[in-house]
Amino acid sequence: MDHSSSLSRRRIGLRIVLHAALILGAIIFLVPLFYVIVTALKSRHDLATLPFFTLPEVWHFDNFPKAWIDGNLSTYIGNSAFISVVKVPLGILVEALAAFALTRMDLKGATVIFMVFLVGMMIPMQATLVPLNIFLHSVGLTNTYPGIIFVYIGFGIPFGILILRGFFRTMPRELDESAVIDGCTDGQRFTRIILPLAKPAVAALFILDFLSTWNEFLLAQIFLTKDSMKTITTGLMTFVGQHLTDYTLLNAGVVLSMIPSVVIYMIFQKQFVSGMAGAVKG
Amino acid sequence: MILRARTIKPWLFLFPAAVIYLAVILIPSLETLVLSLFKWNGASTHIVFIGWDNYIKLFTQDTVFMLALSNTLIWTIASVVILTALALAMALVLNLQFKGRLIYRSIFYFPSILSSIVVAITWRWMYHPQGLINGLLTLIGLGDAAPAWLGDPRTALGSVFLTSLWFGLGQPLVLFLAGLQTISKEPHEAAIIDGANAWQRFACITLPMLRETMIIVVATVFINGMRVYDLIFAMTGGGPAESTEVLSTWMYFQTFSFANVGVGAAISWILIAISMVVIIPYVRFTTKKSEQ
Repeated sequence: MDHSSSLSRRRIGLRIVLHAALILGAIIFLVPLFYVIVTALKSRHDLATLPFFTLPEVWHFDNFPKAWIDGNLSTYIGNSAFISVVKVPLGILVEALAAFALTRMDLKGATVIFMVFLVGMMIPMQATLVPLNIFLHSVGLTNTYPGIIFVYIGFGIPFGILILRGFFRTMPRELDESAVIDGCTDGQRFTRIILPLAKPAVAALFILDFLSTWNEFLLAQIFLTKDSMKTITTGLMTFVGQHLTDYTLLNAGVVLSMIPSVVIYMIFQKQFVSGMAGAVKG
Repeated sequence: MILRARTIKPWLFLFPAAVIYLAVILIPSLETLVLSLFKWNGASTHIVFIGWDNYIKLFTQDTVFMLALSNTLIWTIASVVILTALALAMALVLNLQFKGRLIYRSIFYFPSILSSIVVAITWRWMYHPQGLINGLLTLIGLGDAAPAWLGDPRTALGSVFLTSLWFGLGQPLVLFLAGLQTISKEPHEAAIIDGANAWQRFACITLPMLRETMIIVVATVFINGMRVYDLIFAMTGGGPAESTEVLSTWMYFQTFSFANVGVGAAISWILIAISMVVIIPYVRFTTKKSEQ
């Protein structure tokens, strides 16, 4: 009796410790976010004179339009939005076609081909930059949307094929057989049967891919050097260079650039988790 | 005829992905291997074959490269050990049944959706001499002992690494949570009846059953560690005094700032060579698993 009650007391103690650790961890994870938002709402004078933990005396929402216009963020966000909106569906189409060939068509050496694609996931982007730069220059595609979209699609292919192939494999063979009996061509089998049924995987990939496109920095830094072509990440770096000491404006820019990611995350949280789980299943 | 159409058709579906993949990743990385055997400034037509000289010089004369190499290895090993352990521990806690676990999951995953540049700017501001961290230290009377964080060669790399933990925890955490959900309850219940304590149950049941997830997590954390670039570039630019230089940043500066294209190419192939340690077993594991 004594023994079991001390055990349960220990268990309650453990629970309390765990909860305390979780709450502390959550605070550590959220503090930077609050700090950025509070800084973005202060005036430069408040920032210089008030202690760091105080709220602004006057809430300066005007920092946001200032960053949006003076900081040229409207251009950068517009570029990122356009590139992502074109790249993601186009990339998924290309990846889905390949995954379809690898799983649901009579293709010899499908496993070896898949391995070759998978290697691409592991090659650091740095190892491709100079030849890619030479190539894009020679065809006049540096500082253009088609150029960067082409490169982004290339780097998205390994992960996209991994996810879609994993999902396509789990769909029953009978689907193809009955489609063939009904006289479907391969193209119809792809567009009318496999692709619609793969909607959960496509949705998950769509969101993961959208975020990684939106957040990409290195390739944009090399291939989009003109200010009017910069994306939100390279644009923010330019912005840092210009407003290095103006922390209120800088943090307003950071908050603005977070908004699309946060909105997408909040809407599609479920797909995130299932998408990540899909990566485990492979 | 029919037979030939059947063998060609899959290749038509494969064609766009194959062409783009070859043009963007495979061929350029092989071209880079060739470039690493040349001395070239990237602009002129003057290009000289020098064999393995770029590699030899990196290892014998370039002290910044050696520092970058050791920083990269330290960073990668620290990421694999600390990030994996932290994510696994958190996943075990968040896998328990209690109210609010989904909120915690969202909070810990949240930084992963941000861009590395946003994270870098945010934490530069956190580490700023007038920023929140030193403000807190002053508040509790440690203001004099507050280090310069990113401004001090002794603390800079560690400070960026802490940011990378904040930034990178979400992904392995969600992977582990997904892995834990596939483990059935029965073995645990049987082990409890047999009198196994929590640690024994973790070591003998949970951990072996998480093997596949573990391989994926370790492989991705390792690769991300090896190629770390954005955070360091945007937080310290490799400084102060080159103290936070890693292979990727040094490759960038050699290629695009100093116009030593061959040297930069050699660095990126050293990066690939080290990554092979993980790439080859990972690719074999992934394809073997899907054969089953």
